[in-house]
Parts: sequence; C-alpha cells; structure tokens
Amino acid sequence: MAKYVIGAAGALLGALAGVWLMLAPFALAYQGSGADWADPTYVDFWTGLPLLVISLAGSILYISGLVEELRRRGIMRRPYTAPVEQSQAPPGDASSSENNVDQILLPLVTAMLKDMQERDRERDETHRETPDNVQQTRSAGEEGSVSR
Amino acid sequence: MAPQARVGLIATVVGFFTGIWLFLAPFIVEYQKVGQDWVDATKNDLWTGGALIAISALTLILFGAFALRDAARAAERKNATEAEES
Repeated sequence: MAKYVIGAAGALLGALAGVWLMLAPFALAYQGSGADWADPTYVDFWTGLPLLVISLAGSILYISGLVEELRRRGIMRRPYTAPVEQSQAPPGDASSSENNVDQILLPLVTAMLKDMQERDRERDETHRETPDNVQQTRSAGEEGSVSR
Repeated sequence: MAPQARVGLIATVVGFFTGIWLFLAPFIVEYQKVGQDWVDATKNDLWTGGALIAISALTLILFGAFALRDAARAAERKNATEAEES
C-alpha cells in the first residue's frame, strides 16, 4: 500500500516541476514579456507542459491503484454495491449488465411481493371476520329491505 | 500490483527521462556555450532536471522495494496456507 503513496507523491512532485518549468522563464525573467520566445523558453515550456500532463495522469493512476488496494483489503467500501443477501445471487449465463439490472430490481420486487402478501393476509382476515358480519348485515338488510 | 500502478510507473519513468533531457537541453539546443558562464536558463534547467531525476529515481527505487516486500509477504502467506491445507 505504501508503494502507491510513494508513487503518487513522486508523480505530484513531477507535476509541480512541470508547472515550475512552464513559469520559470517568466519568473526568472530570462524571457521578456511581449518579446518573441527564446530557445530556453521553448524548451522549458514544451518540456513542462507534457511533464505536467503525464505526471498528473500518473498520480491519478497511482491513487486509483491505492483505492483499489484499499477496496480489496476491505478498508474502503465499493460505491453502489448491493447488500450481502443480494450479492450472493448465483452467477448465470446472463451478461453482467443483466445481472446488475436484476440486482437493482430485486429489492423493489421483494418489497412489492411483501406488500402483496400483507394485503392478501389482511384480505383473508377480513374474509374470516365477514361471515358473522355478513350474517348480521344480511339480517339487518332483510329487516330494512323492502321485499318486492 | 494494480494495473493502474504499472501505467503510473511508466509516467515516473517518463519523468526520469525528462529530467535527463532537461539536464542536457542547454547544450543540445546550444543556448549554453561550453566553457562560458552558465546563463539563468541553464542553471534553472540543470537544477530542475537534477531534481526531477532524483525524485523519479527515488520513486522508482522505493516503489520497487515496497512492491518486492509485498510480493515476498504474499508468497509467505501462500506458502503458509498451502502448508496448513496439506
């Protein structure tokens, strides 16, 4: 893990050197402002710019390597990962994108199923209660109804 | 080692060679005549190039050392698990 930190620090120092090279001709005043660029200015600027870009890219790569290492060790959590129950889905023949869609939809579908089961249960309970009620209402209806 | 770090190493190597280029540039581009007093641009390029060489070399050496240490530890761990299984 330390190797990535060292690499990133080295690359960042390289990027700083690139910035300095781009600014040095003007900072050290061996390039007059407004005058045509001299050879040292060309060399320093066009060496500093690629160095800056490459070093920045390098430091980003080292840092991403560090992040991957931290995730591999379980120190850092992966973003947007499914909970453990869902991630244990068996790998099928479907493509990874389909699996991802399944993993996204799975909590929604389970919530819907749970909701439907609860509704069915409530309906059953009301059905069990209704025979008495129905008898009462029927008798009440018969009392109140007008027979044709 | 993460594949990103391998590409990062290339960036460090490029930095090393950039340092060498900066060290030689005043004499190759000939804005510094041999035998004359060094101009400001030459001093700047030599110091910056030297620093860049030192930083890149140190980074490469330390990265290699730590990578070897990690590899040795991984090999030890693998051997230990294999010995436990057998």
